[in-house]
Amino acid sequence: MSLYLQQREFLDEIAADDDAPPSSPGMAVYRNAYRARLSDALATSFERTKRWVGDDAFASASAHYIIVSPPSRWSLDDYGHQFPEILAELFAQNPEVGELAWLEWHMQRAFAAPDQAVLDLAGLTLAADQGFDFENAPSALVGSFATRIVTTACITLWQDLASDESAPLEPPMLDNAAALIVWRAEFAPHFRLLDPIETRALEAAAKGHSFAKICALLVDLVGQDEAAVLAGGYLGQWVTAGLLADTRSA
Amino acid sequence: MIETLAPFHGFGLGLRKEHYGEFLAQEVPVDFVEVISENFMATGGRAMHTLDAVRERYQVAMHGVSLSIGSASGLNREYLSELKALADRLRPLWVSDHLCWTGLGGTNSHDLLPLPYTEEALDVVCAGITLAQDVLERPMLFENPSSYVNFTESSMTEWDFLRAMTERTGCYLLLDVNNIYVSGQNHGFDPQAYLRGIPQDRVRQIHLAGHSQGEDLLIDTHDAPVCPEVWALYADACARFGATATMIERDDNIPELDELLSELGHARAAALQCQGVAA
Repeated sequence: MSLYLQQREFLDEIAADDDAPPSSPGMAVYRNAYRARLSDALATSFERTKRWVGDDAFASASAHYIIVSPPSRWSLDDYGHQFPEILAELFAQNPEVGELAWLEWHMQRAFAAPDQAVLDLAGLTLAADQGFDFENAPSALVGSFATRIVTTACITLWQDLASDESAPLEPPMLDNAAALIVWRAEFAPHFRLLDPIETRALEAAAKGHSFAKICALLVDLVGQDEAAVLAGGYLGQWVTAGLLADTRSA
Repeated sequence: MIETLAPFHGFGLGLRKEHYGEFLAQEVPVDFVEVISENFMATGGRAMHTLDAVRERYQVAMHGVSLSIGSASGLNREYLSELKALADRLRPLWVSDHLCWTGLGGTNSHDLLPLPYTEEALDVVCAGITLAQDVLERPMLFENPSSYVNFTESSMTEWDFLRAMTERTGCYLLLDVNNIYVSGQNHGFDPQAYLRGIPQDRVRQIHLAGHSQGEDLLIDTHDAPVCPEVWALYADACARFGATATMIERDDNIPELDELLSELGHARAAALQCQGVAA
């Protein structure tokens, strides 16, 4: 048998369901280690989600995920990247579970995201002094940025689950679904909910639209007068928050 | 042309987040720290900031767990590129990984899986080492694994395989003395024969670690102090290989830093004693 086929069979055996007994005590060691390592990785990445759904439900969800989503990335830290989606399916009647898991995952990924140049107020001023046409340059958000629509007060839940002692109540549904964003500024991950207009503006920035195009979008949405106020406010807020990447040297 | 590695004979510890603060707040009496490469590849933020600060004060060795040098589907080029970027940033003493495979064709088990010691596996491993060393522009070290299965297909011993690897590729070895003991107990080979089979001029680092007794086999758990039998084998290794960089490897049940420094002191004393005997 070729080495490739031998390794294929080896992987299949250690990833097999419990029903199939291992072929030797040694294979049992590898199989147990595989499951334990992946379960531990999920429990570490989703500590607060585990606290919310309980140990038994989390263990069942983890076992399911390990079967349907075998690890494919070289960092174990990345293993849970599809777990929030799976949790959302498994806990379809409890939408806060998938949303909480998404928030927990992206807060951790933002914490460790690669460093990059951020457009700050000084950079913006310098760009203007150097004649850089910021208004018509493509926008870029920092690489740690992530967003999704949420329907529950999962932010409150995430905060309340910070310690073992807390026993949070089921979070209320939001009056309206809203965009939740996560990103890192300096060393700290941040999150906040957006109103519908800022959601559209930030979506446009995420697509690389220039600030001029974003202003035009705002005019369409709220009219000339309010658009001018909103555009200046958003730009100041995004720059202060460290949401915009500095692409001038890119 | 892959260069040779400069001699370095210090004593070090694995850098674990439980001890970051102490490594930055004081001069911890180690000659180097070893970091897990994957923890810092394609990473930024506070973790990388901390590592840069540690690097300013200590020599660093990079130790990887996901190169998968024995995978029949070949090496991951993106992984190699990120590894190179980290090595260029850290300027480590050396970059090491394991004689094993971790995945195949896009699946990663995140475990150090065993290889059959065959000519085909040797070809795969040596092709991978040559590629990795070319990309990294430096020779690598490869660690002997703990293993829990034997393959009937194997046509050579693990130490013969390691020797052939070094001869074909110019790579160096990271000798894990605990792994020799664990695999020796599990598979019934003589650790002394293993040591005698390892080329004396290729060992650049030694790992010392603890293990645990599983249901049927010894398991390389890195969660306990080094046991007396492994200390004895370390003394034999020191006698055979001379002054060699040595590290205490602890990944679970991580104790206070002082406890690890005490174990490292034991290693220093054992190595010194061997040098005294040799002199």
